[in-house]
Amino acid sequence: MVIEIIEKILLLSGMVALGFIIGMFFNGFARKVTARIHNRVGPPIYQGYLDVFKLFAKKTNISHGWIFDLAALFSVAGIALAFLFLPVAGISLLSTEGDLFLILYLLAIPALGFALGAGASGNPNAAVGIMRALMLMLAYELPLVMVIVAMMVHYNTTSLATLVQMQSNFKWALFVPQFFIGAIIVDMALQGMLMEKPFDIAIAPHEIASGPMVEFGGKHLGALMLYKMMAIVVETTLFVDLFLGGGVVLSVEQYGWIAYLVNFLVWFALITFVFFLALLINAVFPRFRIEQALKFYWKYDALAALLLLIWVYAGVSI
Amino acid sequence: MVALPPVLLIALPLLFAFLAPLVGMVSRRMVKLYTLLVLILNALLSILLFINVMANGVVYEQLSGFYPPVGILLSVGYLGAILAVLINVLSPVVYLSYFGEAENSVKFSMLYMLVTASSTGIVITGDLFNMFVFFEITAVGSYGLVASLRTKEAFEGSFKYIVLGSIGSAFILMGIATIYGYLKTLNFYDIALRIDTMPETARLMSFIFLIVGIGVEAEIFPLNGWVPDAYQGASNRVASFLSVGPSKAGIYAIARLIFTLIPIMSGFELSLLLGIFTLVVGELAALRQRDVKRMLAYSSIGQMGLILIALSLHSETALVAAVFLMVGHALAKSILFIGSRDYSGGLLRNPLIAGPLFLGVLSIVGMPPFPGFWGKWYLMVDLASRGAWTIILLIVFTAIVEGVYYSRYLFRGLNGEIRTLTKSEIASIIILASILILIGLFPQYLYDPAVMAARSLLGGGP
Amino acid sequence: MLMETFYAFIIGSLVVLALNRFPRIAAVVAIAVSLLPLFALIYWAPLVGLTLPSYLSLLRFETEISYALGPGTILLQITPLGWFFLFLLATTFPLVLLFASSFVRDNAGGFYASMLLTMLGSFGVLLARDMLTFFIFWEIMSWSILALVLRGHDRRAIVSYLAFGSLSAMLLLFGFMILYYKTGTFLFGEMALEATPLTLAGISMIVAGFAVKGALMPLHVWAPHVYSRSEEPFVAFLSGGLSKLGYFGMILFMYGVATVPFFATWGTFRGVPYFGYALAVIGAFTAFAGTVLAIMQDDLRKLLAYSSIGQLGYVAIGIGIGTPLALTGALFQALNHTFFKAVLFLAAGAVYYRTGRWKISELGGLGYKMPFTFLAALFAIFALASIPITSGFAAKWLLYEAAIEQGFLFVTPIMLIAGVGAFLYAYKILYGVFLGEPRHDVREAPLSQLVAMWILVLPLVVFLVFPGWVLDITSPILQEYGMQPVAHTPYVITTNLAAYNTIAVILALIGTLFLALILYKWKPQKVVPHEDNYLAGEPPENYEYISMHAASNYYEPFEDVFGGIFRKGAERGWEIVLAGAEFLSNGARRIYTGLTEDYSIYILLFFLVLVGWWLLW
Repeated sequence: MVIEIIEKILLLSGMVALGFIIGMFFNGFARKVTARIHNRVGPPIYQGYLDVFKLFAKKTNISHGWIFDLAALFSVAGIALAFLFLPVAGISLLSTEGDLFLILYLLAIPALGFALGAGASGNPNAAVGIMRALMLMLAYELPLVMVIVAMMVHYNTTSLATLVQMQSNFKWALFVPQFFIGAIIVDMALQGMLMEKPFDIAIAPHEIASGPMVEFGGKHLGALMLYKMMAIVVETTLFVDLFLGGGVVLSVEQYGWIAYLVNFLVWFALITFVFFLALLINAVFPRFRIEQALKFYWKYDALAALLLLIWVYAGVSI
Repeated sequence: MVALPPVLLIALPLLFAFLAPLVGMVSRRMVKLYTLLVLILNALLSILLFINVMANGVVYEQLSGFYPPVGILLSVGYLGAILAVLINVLSPVVYLSYFGEAENSVKFSMLYMLVTASSTGIVITGDLFNMFVFFEITAVGSYGLVASLRTKEAFEGSFKYIVLGSIGSAFILMGIATIYGYLKTLNFYDIALRIDTMPETARLMSFIFLIVGIGVEAEIFPLNGWVPDAYQGASNRVASFLSVGPSKAGIYAIARLIFTLIPIMSGFELSLLLGIFTLVVGELAALRQRDVKRMLAYSSIGQMGLILIALSLHSETALVAAVFLMVGHALAKSILFIGSRDYSGGLLRNPLIAGPLFLGVLSIVGMPPFPGFWGKWYLMVDLASRGAWTIILLIVFTAIVEGVYYSRYLFRGLNGEIRTLTKSEIASIIILASILILIGLFPQYLYDPAVMAARSLLGGGP
Repeated sequence: MLMETFYAFIIGSLVVLALNRFPRIAAVVAIAVSLLPLFALIYWAPLVGLTLPSYLSLLRFETEISYALGPGTILLQITPLGWFFLFLLATTFPLVLLFASSFVRDNAGGFYASMLLTMLGSFGVLLARDMLTFFIFWEIMSWSILALVLRGHDRRAIVSYLAFGSLSAMLLLFGFMILYYKTGTFLFGEMALEATPLTLAGISMIVAGFAVKGALMPLHVWAPHVYSRSEEPFVAFLSGGLSKLGYFGMILFMYGVATVPFFATWGTFRGVPYFGYALAVIGAFTAFAGTVLAIMQDDLRKLLAYSSIGQLGYVAIGIGIGTPLALTGALFQALNHTFFKAVLFLAAGAVYYRTGRWKISELGGLGYKMPFTFLAALFAIFALASIPITSGFAAKWLLYEAAIEQGFLFVTPIMLIAGVGAFLYAYKILYGVFLGEPRHDVREAPLSQLVAMWILVLPLVVFLVFPGWVLDITSPILQEYGMQPVAHTPYVITTNLAAYNTIAVILALIGTLFLALILYKWKPQKVVPHEDNYLAGEPPENYEYISMHAASNYYEPFEDVFGGIFRKGAERGWEIVLAGAEFLSNGARRIYTGLTEDYSIYILLFFLVLVGWWLLW
């Protein structure tokens, strides 16, 4: 019993560590890819690790009080928590203990924690940035939840783990015609979730000095960077779990530990690919204004999602 | 218990009213106290009479030595007893509010006693001509009371009341003449017994004459043109008294007319129709009314319509409802009229004023546990058991309208410069409100008499 | 002791009225009386399967009673449903009074008296066994609320409350009468409803009447006015406790009196009767529109009012769907809403008590000045936004599951997006009031207010870890209506679609927080004042004229997009209705021309009409 618990704790911590490692890699990866598209050399691909370690190694750390500190705590803890509830490469550590709704709401913990600290800093730029981030969230969530609800009703489950299981043997949702469209809609929403251009409105370094993060430095900024990096992993994994079978290609029963390894690699390749797509869009687009983003998501994306809903509605009977 | 003759109820205040100038010659201040004492005495008498009637049934009394059907007869029925108590108990309470006034008018007190006596007379008489006489006295007294404020509006209201009242009297007289011409009697029971021997035409004609005539006093649409102006012109305590005495006497007369005197089916239908019109028009007119007294007057019209609907449904439940509505309306409206003198200031900031006024509004709007609620509830139950959805819908609609304009009324009492009422007025509305609460908490003391009254009326009795 | 409780409330209200000049003593008396329903609650706990230690039930309460009130009979009986809602009201009420003991100052006696009468009415409503009893107590509650609304001295609040209150009362009365006509009885237990259009109309009217109290759109118009112009302790109870009575009534009449097969006579949509589906759609619309309107408010109380409307919309969705899962979700949401909204309104009251301001844009930075108020409010806001570290999530989760189970493709996204919208206004409160630039030099709220808030936070924490306990007490309700309870253990809820394990979430969160804490504590830090920030490298000279608090028009871009559509929509509609009535009123007033000759002509015409009628007839 005790050994099982320790085993579980170790597994979970390992998973969190893996998430952070991949996240930090993604940071460098993103900068490299963008630089290449812009025809620059760019930083080395391991720059993300350097940045985070440097920030955590800083000697002077400025805080604005205990509410300010909550941001660092809750953003890191929250995003790790959300990651644990996702099935990764078909492995569900905690994902059977909750479902897709839980994950959607768990994603709000780091966001609200972050917002709390940013607001507590008292810098108006931070407040404006948070306002934009929240509105953006409202904007992209509508098409996102519409597609997700359509999938839930179609597959008659709300559990992400079950959804991944149903997509095994390459019965990916992407190959179902209606959810192919769904994947495109969600991919657009993903662009907003990842806050890549044209939806990097909340951060907008040139307008509001990096928005919410303006007051953070040292270990606080380090924690927030960890959060942002990990968030990329979580959000792309969510997409992969929804539409690309979660990266499960080999069944564990048949192939044993090789299956784990292969699935992990496929999952990694898939999330990298999804992120890469986002980076491509990011590299060539300018930035929307927030109301443009809202109109984009609620008019075009949501309208497409509405058509999808009608399509699914026609096909489902209870 | 000594069974006191009912005639005392009428005779005492009449007598004392004419003695009032004598008291006034001694001391004009004494007149008020004197009147109050007389009215309280009368109230006690009415309560004794009520107890007597409830214990022993209808009380008859012949006057002037002749036996019916020739002589003058008083017959105090259950409904009559209830209303007699209502009028006579509320009359001194309303009069109490007169005490703070600097003015000491002997005439006012005389008229007040006169109207009390004659209104009581209407509800306890057993004779059509008597009723007519009492109607006349009530009307004449009321003209004087309305005009007592001596302002332009008061005279205007009084004048309209006089004109319409006279027309009404003429109609009543014609009705009486028609009946007398055929039956040679004016005794209620005699008429009721032999009404079938009258030719159809004459019967209907007399019915129409009477309902038009009495309707003026009972504030029925479209005969009630005088109501808004008279209530607006009259001083608050007079308006209050009018809604306690004369109007209830009028509605009682209608009940006697349609139940005892000429109980024909079309009579009920007609009065039901009139009730609905009165209700809807009254409540609607109140909605946009800014003048508080006028608004209350329109609301009174609406309430009379409701009572008339309850009366004309011809069932026990509905009649019980009618009794509750009458009592509730008399109490609540007299509170509101007295409390609304000078009603623009922060009157409701004084809890002693706000409490009674609030309770008054609650009762009128029909909130439990006040009498207005029981009235509306039983009326609804009766209508529902017939499936009369249209009427229910109209009542529901008017109740919502009532809610809107009474909310405006309440709001107006909250904001603005602070004004207040005299001590006697406050005392008066507090007494009225406590009666309201008592009836609300112990409705059985009104319910049992009301059931007896309903049974008696349905059985053709008084 | 049941009848004595009612007497105690009546006498208590008279006593506190008499103690008007001694507000503290009045508060003590009121709180003492207000504990009685709590004792009743404890005594009746076995009814819902709870076994409480016997020493807790100090007094004995009858479970059933009849009392002749003149013409009618008051019939009272405790049911599991009544118990559940009594739990919400009886626990909130004493705490609200405790808060009021330091908050309400002028005419305190009147306040406590009206509050006691309000609770008296609610208590009776929850125990009512027939329609007469129900209506009497319902109306007593309504008018005692009116008395409290009058204290706000606001025209729109008074007029809209009484107008909609009358509408509600009359709809209920009409509906009751229809049911009485069709069944011939007033007793809930004896009504066997036939499925006729008339009964359906009756039930619809009753549900609409309750929807007024539950502030469902478009019958919600009174709520923002009343919530924003009355004293906070009362508003906390109104929003937290009393608004639930509308939903209590809905459940009672839709599932206790009428049944699912009754509604199913007129057809079903995906296993849900059309009637219920319509209610769910209205609920979803309310949830969404309420949220959007809340986002646009600057007045803290109005924001909370619209938020309240929006959150109660979820309850209506659950009642509308009407499956065991959905009903459980609705009840759970009602419970959560009671506690978090009471806390939020009380916190708003505490903020006002110290700063004297309601506008979010005029507040700011109170988090460090009033940390305990802030933390209570923060927790309530987490519950409001259904963050899974409070019990708020479990309720929403049940509702989402229920909607997905029935395949509701269009209702569910609206519910979800309204949930996201809640983050926006939740953050507006947090930032505008508690974070950002400190602008008020104030102390923490008084102890009585803090105690009241923190005790109300308690259930949110307890039911976070053990949502199964709520499901335990809702199960008897479902069984009473012949439904299968939702499968659960104290901390795992299982549905056909998925499961939700609170312990897993909590432990994982503690673990990750621990991890984050290690990372965070690695290096020491220095705390600097708020002026010393990025912009303050070169601080503005005349600081007092420049606000660093970006809280006014916080969501301006959002208002640019949605403002035109949502602002005052429903209110306009009702104003048109009122204008129509006033048009009729003008017509009626034109009859009374004020001219004696006209009136005389009316009499003569009337006479002629009667004669003519008779001649023709």
